[in-house]
Amino acid sequence: MAWSSYPLNPIHNQSVFIRATNCLWLLTLLLAFPPQKPTFEEVSPAESKITWTHNNAQSPDRQLPETVGAGCAFLDYDNDGWMDIYLVNSGPSDFFTPSTPLKNALYRNNHDGTFTDVTDKAGVAGGKFGMGVAAADYDGDGNIDLYVTNYGSNILYRNNGNGTFTDVTDKAGVTAPGWSTCATWFDYDNDAKLDLFVSSFVYYDKSQNPLCTDPTLKQRYYCVPRLFKPQPSRLFHNNGDGTFQDVSRESGIAGSPGKSFGAVATDVNNDGLMDLFVANDTMPNFLFLNKGDGKFEEIGLAAGVAYGEAGRPRSGMGVDAADFDGDGWQDLFVANIDQEFFSLYHNDKELIFTDQPGEIAPATQLLSGWGLKFFDYDNDGDPDLFLVNGHPDDMIESRVARVRHKEPLLLFENTGRNFKDVSASSGPVFTKMFSGRGMALGDFDNDGDADVLTSNNGEPPLLLRNQGGNRNNWIGLQLIATKSNPAAVGATITWQAGTLKRTRLKTGGGSYLSSHDPREILGVGSATKIDYVEIRWPSGKIDKLTNPPLNTYVKVVEGTGLVKK
Amino acid sequence: MKKNLSSKKAHKAQLILFLCLLFLVCFFVIPARAQSSDVLQAFEQVAALIRDDRLVEADKELTEVLRLQPDLPVALNLMGSLRAKQGRLVEAESLFLRAVQGDKNFTGARMNLVYLYLLKHAPDKAIPQLTEVLTLEPENLDAKVLLGDAYLAKNDLQKAEENYLAALDNKLNNAGALFGLAQISRMKGEQREVAIYLNRVGTLIGDSTSTDFLYKFALEAMQVGLFDEAKSALERAVALKPKDPSYLLALGIAWLRKTDLFEAEKLFRRVLVMEPNNAQAQLHLGYVLLNQKKYAEARTWLEKSARTSAPIPEVFYYLGLVAQEQNNDAGAIVLFEKAVRQLPLYAHARIALGSSYMKLKNYVRARQELETAVKLDPNEPTAHYNLALLYARIKEPERAKEELRIIDQLKAKGATNNGVVVLPPKSNP
Repeated sequence: MAWSSYPLNPIHNQSVFIRATNCLWLLTLLLAFPPQKPTFEEVSPAESKITWTHNNAQSPDRQLPETVGAGCAFLDYDNDGWMDIYLVNSGPSDFFTPSTPLKNALYRNNHDGTFTDVTDKAGVAGGKFGMGVAAADYDGDGNIDLYVTNYGSNILYRNNGNGTFTDVTDKAGVTAPGWSTCATWFDYDNDAKLDLFVSSFVYYDKSQNPLCTDPTLKQRYYCVPRLFKPQPSRLFHNNGDGTFQDVSRESGIAGSPGKSFGAVATDVNNDGLMDLFVANDTMPNFLFLNKGDGKFEEIGLAAGVAYGEAGRPRSGMGVDAADFDGDGWQDLFVANIDQEFFSLYHNDKELIFTDQPGEIAPATQLLSGWGLKFFDYDNDGDPDLFLVNGHPDDMIESRVARVRHKEPLLLFENTGRNFKDVSASSGPVFTKMFSGRGMALGDFDNDGDADVLTSNNGEPPLLLRNQGGNRNNWIGLQLIATKSNPAAVGATITWQAGTLKRTRLKTGGGSYLSSHDPREILGVGSATKIDYVEIRWPSGKIDKLTNPPLNTYVKVVEGTGLVKK
Repeated sequence: MKKNLSSKKAHKAQLILFLCLLFLVCFFVIPARAQSSDVLQAFEQVAALIRDDRLVEADKELTEVLRLQPDLPVALNLMGSLRAKQGRLVEAESLFLRAVQGDKNFTGARMNLVYLYLLKHAPDKAIPQLTEVLTLEPENLDAKVLLGDAYLAKNDLQKAEENYLAALDNKLNNAGALFGLAQISRMKGEQREVAIYLNRVGTLIGDSTSTDFLYKFALEAMQVGLFDEAKSALERAVALKPKDPSYLLALGIAWLRKTDLFEAEKLFRRVLVMEPNNAQAQLHLGYVLLNQKKYAEARTWLEKSARTSAPIPEVFYYLGLVAQEQNNDAGAIVLFEKAVRQLPLYAHARIALGSSYMKLKNYVRARQELETAVKLDPNEPTAHYNLALLYARIKEPERAKEELRIIDQLKAKGATNNGVVVLPPKSNP
C-alpha cells in the first residue's frame, strides 16, 4: 500500500511537529554548545613556583650539544602519590665553562599545584652537560631512581628512600662515556629486573666542531649531524645486585652504530619480548628485534621503518609506540626534521610497517619534532598524540624560507584509523612558539587526566594542565610488580566498559630525553561502569579486576589484584 | 614519448611572439618610408588600429588604400601584418612578398617575412631574406641574430655561431645573440658554457619588456638549473602581463623546480582561478599536493587534469601514488600499469609498481618490476632502495646490503633521492 493512502491524523501530525521542534531545539543546543573538549592550560612559573630555566650554553662556536638538550621527567621520588618534576640542565664540559654553576632541578609536588625546589637536599644537581633523564626503580626497593644522561658521562642516582639520592654510577657500571642522549628502562630478558638501554649520539669533542657557516651571515651555525661519526648505543643488563653488565656487544646492539636519539621499548611482534625502536639522526632508524636469547637483530630496513621514501635516511629525533588503531599490534611514530615529514608507521604484522601519517604529514612538513607521546588526553579510551617541536638551528630563519626556530606544539586526536589536528581548539598555548625538546607525561594534580611537561632549549620549562580530560570517566592504575620488572614494562592492560573494549601495552621510554608518570589512566568515555580491567603481567600472571571503582587511582599488586584506592 | 600537453598553447605563444615582432617592424618602418605627412599619419592610424586589435577597421582602411594603389608596398606590408594577426598566414606571406617585390629595399617587409618563415619552421626561406636585409643594412643587429636563429633552426651550429658572434661584435650586450649561443652550447652538451651565457642574458633582461623573450629565456634557464634566473625573468613577465596565465604557470614551475612547493601551489591556484580547466595547472597542483601529502585534494586535481586532456603517463603514475598512500595498492597497480603501458620505459612507474606488489607480498612481481626499473634507470636511488627493501624481506641480506651500497655510491656521485615522485614532464606551459 502506498504511503499516500494514509492521510495524516491532525493530532498525530501535531505530535510529530512537536517532536520535530524538540529535535530542532536539541540540535540547536548541540550546535551552540558542542561537547567541550579538553584544553591544555599553561601553569605559569608564578603559579607553580618552578622558576628554573634551561641554559643551553649557546656559544659563537655553535657546539652541537648546545642545541640538543634537554629532557624532563615526572616521577614520584618521595612515594607520596604525587608527581614530582625533574629537569635537566647543561653544565661544565670540554667546550663550556658556566660563569655561574648550573644545576639540574628536582621539584617536589606540594599537592596544591605548587612545587618546591629540593635539588640540593636530594643531591641530584647533576653538574655535567646534561641531556636526558630516565626514572625507574631499578633495584626494586620501591623507590624511584634516576638515570641522567650527559655529554661526557652519565649519572645513576639511587633513591635512598628518605628524600635523598646517592650517585652510584661507578659502582653500578653505567657510566657510558661519550655523548648519551635517551635512556630507556625495560626488561629485555624477562628476568624481572629493569635493564637499561642508552642511546648514543655522535663521536664529538670540541676539537671536532667543523666550521659550518654562511658567508652572508658571517656567523657559524650548528652543523648537521651528517658530518659526525656514529657511535654504538649501549645495553646494560641488570645483575640484580646493584650492578649492571654492559651487554652491548653480545646482544648485537653495538653492531649497529648510530646517531641515536629517542628510543622506545615495545613488543612489535607480540611475542612477549620487548623490542627497541630507536630514532637516528641523518641515519636509518633501528628496529632491534628481541630474539629471546639475549640477542637483538636490527631489522629496520626489512620492516620499512629505517628510511624515508627513496631510501633517504631522515633526521629522527623523538619516538613512541602504541596500538593507535586498536588492531592489537604496536604502531610506531618518529618525528623528523622539517621537510622530511613525521612518520606514523602502521604495524601490518609479520614485522612489516607502512608509513601512514595521514593528516599529521602536512601539519608537520615545516616542523622539527622532538618530545612526543601517545596518550589518551580526553579519556575516550584511545591514544591521541602530542608533539613538541623546535628547529635545532637558531639561525634557520635566515637561511630557509618559512621554517622557524621556535615552533608550535601540536595535538592530534585519534579518529580510529588516523589522527585529526585539534591544536587550534585545545588552548591558547598551541598558538605560541617554543624551542621545544623534551616532553614528559604525568597527572601532576591527580585529577585523572594526563598533564604535560615540556623542556625547552634555553628557555623555562612549560607545565600544561589538562583541563577537562576528566570529564570522561577513567580509572588510574598504579602497577606494583612482584614477579615482573618493577616498572611493569611489557604488561598488557585490557579494559571493558559496555561496548568499549581497549588494550594497552605498557611501553618503556618513548618521547625524547624524558621520562613519564608510571601510572596508567584508562579512559572509558561516558561509560558509568567499568566491567573489568585485566592486567597480563610480563611474568605471565593475570590479574582481573571486576567492576573496579571509577574516577580514582587504584593500586594493583601482581598476583593479588586490587589492594586499595 | 611524453606528449606535449600544451602544443596549442605553445603555438599560440609563438604566434603572439611573431605578431608582436611584426607589429614593431610595421610601426617603426612605416614612418621612414612614408612619402608625405598625410600618408604617414594615415598609416600610423592604421598601425594603431592593428595594435589595438581593431582589425575590422584597419582592414577597411587598408582595403580602401589598396583599391586605389594595389601595389603600394607600405599598405601591402600592413595588410600582411593584419592578416598574420588574424592567423591567415598564407595570405600574409603573399602580401609581404608583394611588398618586397614592389620595393626591393623594404627591409621591414623582408623582416616580417623572416619572422613568418621562422614561425613556419622554414629557415631556408628566411636566410635569403636576411642576407638581403644585411646587404642593405650591414649593421642590423636584429637581422644578424635572426640569421643565427635561422641557421640554428637548420642545425648549422657553425654558421649560427658566426652570426651570433657577429651580432655581439665583441660586446656581451646582445641578449638575443647570447641566448642563441647558449642554445648552441646546450646542443653541444657544454653545460658550463650554457650557464655562463644564460647568466649573462639574465643580467641584460632586467628591464626587458618582451615577455616572450623572458619566457623563452626562463625555460632555457630552467633546463640548466638556473632557477633563480628563470624565476626572476618570469616574475618580470608576470609583472608585465599579470593576467596571462602562461607566465604564472611557468613561474609556478620555476618555484617547483626550486622545490618551494608552497609558492608553486599559490601560483598554480592563481592560474586555476583564471583558467579553471587548465590541464597543466591541474596536473602541477596535483603534483604539489601529492608532495605535501595532501592526498585527497591531490587526487581531485589529478583526476580533473585527466578529464581535461588526454592523460599522460605521469597522471596515472601520480594517481597511483595517491592510491598507494591511501592504502589501496590493488588500485594503485591498475594505475601504474596504465602508465607503463603508455610509456614502457617509465622507470618510476615501474618502481612504484614494484613497491605496491611488495606491499601485497607478491614478491615475484615486485622483483620483476624493480629489476626492470634498475635496468631502465640504474642511477635512480629509489629503485635500489626498493630492491634493498625487497631483498631484506625475502631474506637475502647480502643483496640488500649491496643495493644500499649502490645508493651510497650514487649519493657520493651527487644523485639526489629527495623523493620518489618525479616532476611532471618538462612541458612548455
